[in-house]
Amino acid sequence: MSSTPDVAVRSRLAPSRDVIQALYRLIAVALLCAALTALSDVFFTTNNILNVLRQTALLFLMASGLTLVILTAGLDLSVGANIALSACLAASVMKTTGSPLLGMATGIGCGAAVGFANGILVTALRIPSFIATYGMMWMLTGVTYYYMAGETIHGFPPGFRQFGSGYLLGVPMPVYIMMLFLFIGAFFAQRTVWGQQIYAIGANPVAARLSGVPVERRLVLVYAVSGAMAGLASLIILARINSAQGDIGEELTLPAIAAVLVGGTSLFGGSGTVAGTMIGALFLTLVLNGMNLLQIHSSWQPLVTGIIILLAVWIDNRTRRSDA
Amino acid sequence: MSARNLSTVSTSITRVPGVAIVLGALCAMFGVMSPEFLTPANIANILTQSTILLLLALPMTLIIMTEGLDLSIGAVLTLASIVLAVTVVATGSAPLGFLAALMVGFCIGLGNGVLIAVFDIPPFITTLGTLGIAQGLSLLVTDGQSVVGIPRSIEAIYSGTVVGIPMPVVIGALAYAVTHGLLYHTRFGTYVFALGGNREALKVAGISVRGMLIRVYVFGGLMAGFAALLMTARLNSAHPTAGIGMEFDAIAAVAVGGTSFERGNGWLFGTLLGVIAVGVLRNGLNLLAVPSSAQVACIGAIVIIALFIDGQRGER
Amino acid sequence: MKYLTFSVTAVLAALFSNAASAEGETIAVFTKNLTNPYFQAVRVGTETAAKTLGVKVIQYVPTKPDSIPEQLSQVEDVIVKKPNAIVFVPVDYKALVPAVEKINAAGIPVTNITDRSAGGNFVAFVGADDYSIGLAIARRLLTAIGGKGNVIILEGVKGSLTSTNRVRGFNDALKETPNVKLLASQPANFQRLNALQVMENLMQSFPSIDGVLAANDPMAVGAIEALEAANRKAMVIGINGSREAVELIKSGKLLASGDFNGFIQGCIGTQIAVRNLRKQPTPKEVMLKPIVIDKTNFTPYETPVEQRTCPTIEQITSN
Repeated sequence: MSSTPDVAVRSRLAPSRDVIQALYRLIAVALLCAALTALSDVFFTTNNILNVLRQTALLFLMASGLTLVILTAGLDLSVGANIALSACLAASVMKTTGSPLLGMATGIGCGAAVGFANGILVTALRIPSFIATYGMMWMLTGVTYYYMAGETIHGFPPGFRQFGSGYLLGVPMPVYIMMLFLFIGAFFAQRTVWGQQIYAIGANPVAARLSGVPVERRLVLVYAVSGAMAGLASLIILARINSAQGDIGEELTLPAIAAVLVGGTSLFGGSGTVAGTMIGALFLTLVLNGMNLLQIHSSWQPLVTGIIILLAVWIDNRTRRSDA
Repeated sequence: MSARNLSTVSTSITRVPGVAIVLGALCAMFGVMSPEFLTPANIANILTQSTILLLLALPMTLIIMTEGLDLSIGAVLTLASIVLAVTVVATGSAPLGFLAALMVGFCIGLGNGVLIAVFDIPPFITTLGTLGIAQGLSLLVTDGQSVVGIPRSIEAIYSGTVVGIPMPVVIGALAYAVTHGLLYHTRFGTYVFALGGNREALKVAGISVRGMLIRVYVFGGLMAGFAALLMTARLNSAHPTAGIGMEFDAIAAVAVGGTSFERGNGWLFGTLLGVIAVGVLRNGLNLLAVPSSAQVACIGAIVIIALFIDGQRGER
Repeated sequence: MKYLTFSVTAVLAALFSNAASAEGETIAVFTKNLTNPYFQAVRVGTETAAKTLGVKVIQYVPTKPDSIPEQLSQVEDVIVKKPNAIVFVPVDYKALVPAVEKINAAGIPVTNITDRSAGGNFVAFVGADDYSIGLAIARRLLTAIGGKGNVIILEGVKGSLTSTNRVRGFNDALKETPNVKLLASQPANFQRLNALQVMENLMQSFPSIDGVLAANDPMAVGAIEALEAANRKAMVIGINGSREAVELIKSGKLLASGDFNGFIQGCIGTQIAVRNLRKQPTPKEVMLKPIVIDKTNFTPYETPVEQRTCPTIEQITSN
């Protein structure tokens, strides 16, 4: 499967331009860290940095699969609801069988199955991704509410808890998982043919199809991956809070999308990186962390977050235009 | 230019769209299964309950036609209703409160438009940011509490009737007529169609694309401010969570109604049908006492079914 | 196309065929959301009472949790159906007053439980005094830490009546022990993950925390998780008396939980509604006593709500 000249050129140009974008963002993160260190004497402590990284890990894992979806000019609004259902099913399996492994397989499997269903809605039934995943979000929530019947499931085996709240060499487990998937995701997107095809689909679906890219299969893949990552994120949440309830993850959908967009991925598809998403997730987490440390009243938080998101994207736009 | 509008309208009518099928099916089903469904009181309820969503979905149709999105419209509604309530309680004047609500809508709509058109920030992210800002302001002003003490005269706007028709329905019909006129019978409307399908034509004609985009988002903000009056009247108070999630409901109603995200063709009547379909669904499920979790799932299913039907007919 | 419509209609009709006809009185019950176990307990309470009394209850819960406009719409829709009576938990005690007025105008008797509505006419109010529970349980924690040290308050949702009153109780208890310092009072939205993250952040700023006053059980559990993960110890109390809390009390991780009994409120609310319909005398107000559940008295709370039996109004009001 040889790539068209367009795709070949993109794969040579894209990394360097995206690398520059990533650098600008890293500078922004560094500036933010510097400011927070100056304003709060507990910011730059080991404990706090580890906290930030752990919270970033959760957001990143959700947003990493989402990045691939957005690269194809799609959207997945169902990730939050997917997390809830996957977590509840995984919790239930873990409680009844006592096996963390079975629970984890259930969680990721459920997430992937939901993602796969999203993919089918988008490709075979040709429903726009916004609506398909919006409808899916409601259906998942309904199923979760019905299944949980207002109850919670709590108390998981300690081995499983380590997954989310354990440490290895002093660093929280989720951070390792984040680094692992950062590497996998970046490698997949930038260095594999499938990854390049995903960029091509986002940039120009017609051209991609004409050059032989199996568009439908790749789309189903990205939605399934997004779902599977939501399943993984649900396991981490379960491990952290040691219980499952019908509404967990609900509030994480928009922040996940924000992390992808702040990280430089374009909603129109075809440009952006997984690494950028990680920086976006880090940035958003730092903002929240800073507000908590500076004891900024929680009522201010949506306001400040909104302003910062706008600033970040605006600055990104200016830098993008100046070197285009 | 008007020939293009005519052809869009006529082709839309000759094919029965998914939303009409869904609406028809729901009405038939509920009519048969629930004795209360087709009573005048209930129909009045459905239409009244749908008005606020309609007021948000109408400008959303235009915005989506320009390949944009307004995620902030629910939060703007909330903030405007709070500002309205606070102003009325402080000054005792309802018209002043209403003006204040419109101002809030105008300002945020303008902010959205400028950020999108001038600063080139994608609509999704712009309105996500302004959603946070509006939501944050709502929380700060109220500290999470309802604003009460609103005179009954405002409540009458929601509960009053005009020749037997509930006031909100009259307001909704008026808003629809105004938006319809704007879209299909003025140059502004023609330009909106062009914004979605053919921006080059606008540039060639010397019309400022930026100016048009800003106007469209300002329209959204103003309608949200208008809807705030109805919301405050309905609750007889203002609450910082009142409008949460309504932007997604509005977007879904527009999409269910047949307006496409990509190609800039819009069908306003479809939006009206979409809004009513959602209202009918919720009402019917309540009348049938369907368990809540099933209701939640149904709402998602209906949206998907409506678009699936459209997809089958080769709309995409 | 016709086949599709027909089959879809048939499937939906089959799903919704529980539009049953009523035998005995019908009572419509309104609660705030589908996810908080407290309201599940309320619903189970209403159904348990209904079974004993031979009436039918129908549950109405907003599809969007705590949605004010949705509960308003549900009330309007339910009025059309004319149930015999209504048992009502308002999503917001001020914003739902117009809904209660509509119910009054329709002539349907309504009983208010859990959150006292700011207006409208009710047959009775059944609730627990959030303030007293907060006060009692905070006193328990303050005694347990020996009357001195540092504490943190985890508030609920900003603006919620429940949170405001419970936190007021906490603060008044704190006033009684001047040697205890309040380090911070932060909202965590009654949510577990939220409380966990807030606790993590607070632990950064405050190296020494002796006690955590959480306004509900999920937040208390979140705080305990955060403490455990950081290998720190503190006394924690919650409010709700949930099953999870009881297990944690048993294992010693949670000091105590305030009994805010949704099940009983649902039971009593339904009983009052039915007695009122049957023209029997009913009290105007039933306030449940503040009970602190701890290691000494947790056993009755271990039974799942589905298996409990309803106490009668007399049993509650007499002690």
